[in-house]
Amino acid sequence: MEERANEKKLELFRLGLVVFAILAVLTIGEYFIGVIAIDWTWPLWGIALLKAALIVRDYMHLPRLLSQDEEDHS
Amino acid sequence: MTTHVDARSGYQYKTGTNRLGLWLFILSDAFVFGGLLVSRFYLLGRTRPDLSQLLGLIVTSILLLSSFFMNRAETAIRFGDKKGFLNGTLLTITLGTLFLIGVVGVEWQIAPFSAGENAAASIFYTMTGFHAFHVLTGVILLVIVYRKGRKGLYSAERHWAVEAAAIYWHFVDVVWVFFYPALYLMGRIAS
Repeated sequence: MEERANEKKLELFRLGLVVFAILAVLTIGEYFIGVIAIDWTWPLWGIALLKAALIVRDYMHLPRLLSQDEEDHS
Repeated sequence: MTTHVDARSGYQYKTGTNRLGLWLFILSDAFVFGGLLVSRFYLLGRTRPDLSQLLGLIVTSILLLSSFFMNRAETAIRFGDKKGFLNGTLLTITLGTLFLIGVVGVEWQIAPFSAGENAAASIFYTMTGFHAFHVLTGVILLVIVYRKGRKGLYSAERHWAVEAAAIYWHFVDVVWVFFYPALYLMGRIAS
């Protein structure tokens, strides 16, 4: 049981790391867009929306709000 | 009847209602930040304040990294890992403080304009100031959570305060996700 919980924790740690890696790549991408292409406003909005969606879903755990089990750890 | 009352006073039920309340607060706060973002485009259009884009990238990276460690801290306490929770929270507090130093201590000082000089200056100080105040309150909240965590007040079963502080912290990060390109990257420098 404890081993399973540990595996689940490591799995969630990995998910957090993957999300962070994606956010980092997108941030560097938007930096270069901003520096090089001054008038590319819409791609920057797209990147910002994508980053926000990732944080809201995976870091703020919005799906928990709709969860039947209040302490659902899935 | 007794069972019904017990279910409504249970920790799980309270956590569910607390969570709903917190999200409603975040939604209302998001409208204020949304208003600031709209004001920026109304006042400046396709121009932006004359700011260091590199410093913007650095402080943004610091805030993103803090969110990563906050997520780790919250995940750790969900599984009863108190050491992991304390380490993650302490790193988040440190990075949040560094972000504040970067924006208020450095960017505000090196910006080539004062607050009331023009529209670009006014909206820059209003947006970053309002956001920095939220970061400051987030750091204070995290210090409280950290101190309580050291006293062993949180467990895998009971850690709503940690979850609430984490959600608030990530919200502050989401706001910056929009403020950063709006202030540092979009448009030409306002003359």
